[in-house]
Amino acid sequence: MTSSPMLSVTGLVAGYGEGPVLQGVDLQVNEGELVVVIGPNGHGKSTLLKAISGLVSASAGTIHFGGRRISDMRTERIVDLGLTQIPQGDLLFPDMTVRENLLLGAFRPIAHKKRQEGLERVYSIFPRLQERGTQRARTLSGGERRMVAIGRGLMSDASMLLIDEPSLGLAPVLVNEVYQQIASIAQSGTTVLLVEENVTHVREVANRLCLMETGRIVMSGSVDEVLADPSVMRTYLGVGD
Amino acid sequence: MTDVDLFLQTLVSTVTQGSILALISIGMTLVYGTLRVLNMAQGAMVMLGGFAAYTTLQVVSVPVWTTIIVAVLVTFVLGVLTYFIAVKPLLGRPGVDFEMTAFISTFAAATIIQNVCLLVFGPRQKPFDPVIPGLIEITGAVSITYHTLLMNVVAIGALVALGLFLSRSRYGLAITAVAQNLEAARLMGIPARRAYATTMGIAAALAGIGGVLLAPSYFVSPNAGDLPLLQSLIVVIFAGLGSVKGTIYAAYIIGFIQSAVSIYWGTAYALPVLYVVILVVLVIRPYGLAGKPQEARL
Repeated sequence: MTSSPMLSVTGLVAGYGEGPVLQGVDLQVNEGELVVVIGPNGHGKSTLLKAISGLVSASAGTIHFGGRRISDMRTERIVDLGLTQIPQGDLLFPDMTVRENLLLGAFRPIAHKKRQEGLERVYSIFPRLQERGTQRARTLSGGERRMVAIGRGLMSDASMLLIDEPSLGLAPVLVNEVYQQIASIAQSGTTVLLVEENVTHVREVANRLCLMETGRIVMSGSVDEVLADPSVMRTYLGVGD
Repeated sequence: MTDVDLFLQTLVSTVTQGSILALISIGMTLVYGTLRVLNMAQGAMVMLGGFAAYTTLQVVSVPVWTTIIVAVLVTFVLGVLTYFIAVKPLLGRPGVDFEMTAFISTFAAATIIQNVCLLVFGPRQKPFDPVIPGLIEITGAVSITYHTLLMNVVAIGALVALGLFLSRSRYGLAITAVAQNLEAARLMGIPARRAYATTMGIAAALAGIGGVLLAPSYFVSPNAGDLPLLQSLIVVIFAGLGSVKGTIYAAYIIGFIQSAVSIYWGTAYALPVLYVVILVVLVIRPYGLAGKPQEARL
């Protein structure tokens, strides 16, 4: 793993109109790292990813990706630079087939040229998607939809993935499968910033943990360092008094 | 006329009217599906298609069918311009009811286009020759003109081409993606605003083709788009706003009602009966044939 910064967020303030959700976020993700932001529901984790992707505008602060300032860029330009988000929940194209959904993940020109290679890669990670290739996305199970969403993100051939709560709504057995795949994606060299409410899922895969509360990163360090904090253990692992 | 003759005439008329209605209405459906704008400029584009073809024939001596290409190009450009002038400035504006404001702004754009044509070409109807003259006799009392056949071939061909473009091409899939889930589409790097402009261009071009095909029957005049706009509105509302499949079904159903009423009862009854049908359908099924119910507001 190298240590050059790939994503750098400084003093980020952003929200949806009625007061900012993010209240001065500072975060750095180095190339090749898998960083996980944990925190309670409603404290700004998803908003942070949306702001990085350009879906929510920043009212203050800066975001740099690969040395370029992206805080004022349109989402499609940010994706073009190689930063792709795999959003939370069911954000598929419901009336398109699994294959069409995956191919749209390769919309950026560089990925479009390698779309066949990309499909083979996704099918090797999630063989079930090849079996379901001609099925409409709306007819898939929750787990399969999540696989399509992750596969579609991979099709973009991005150098960095932002992944929003991949375990949400999945059966426990599928959560382990999905996290194993995310770990192997990170090991293949893709930088990953992931947000998750449930710490237990990410202990084995994260290089670094950041704790987010009330719109700020309040603690950051190795998994052991963060989880050794008594308040984190009490809140997220149910350990202690 | 025998019963068989009347039936054959109704059948031919249903297919022809249905195909043309589908061609013009599908553009409105596409625009509503991607942008959530009920595009009131669609009728003006039908009229412009006719004028583009008519003007081409006045200026250069070319086969009539080539004017379809000119009409497609002119209306595509004007459709894109309508997006940039009447729709884009309203996108993402806080405190603006986008659907209602864009409905009015496209209506304003249509009125401006119509009045410019009135100034330039005058109010008189201009005759337009059939693209291919001549006819085929089916029975002694029923015949089909070559132009009618061409209307069907071109309209159905354009609809099939549109279907292939939307489902097979990279850019067509991107437009479909924007219509199905805007946020997901943006996260895939799809430039939504470029997709909006292209959609309005394509919708206008389809109307432009319709304008040339209708010109021999309805003539070329600044008001030539009024009836097609009204009929298309009925089709897309009957279909359920934004539904492509529903639009195709609705176009042929409306085409059948208009044809059957005109042939069996008389042309004067066609529009009133259509309004009665649409009223009954909307009372029973307010979201149309293939639309989805929305939450009640009151």
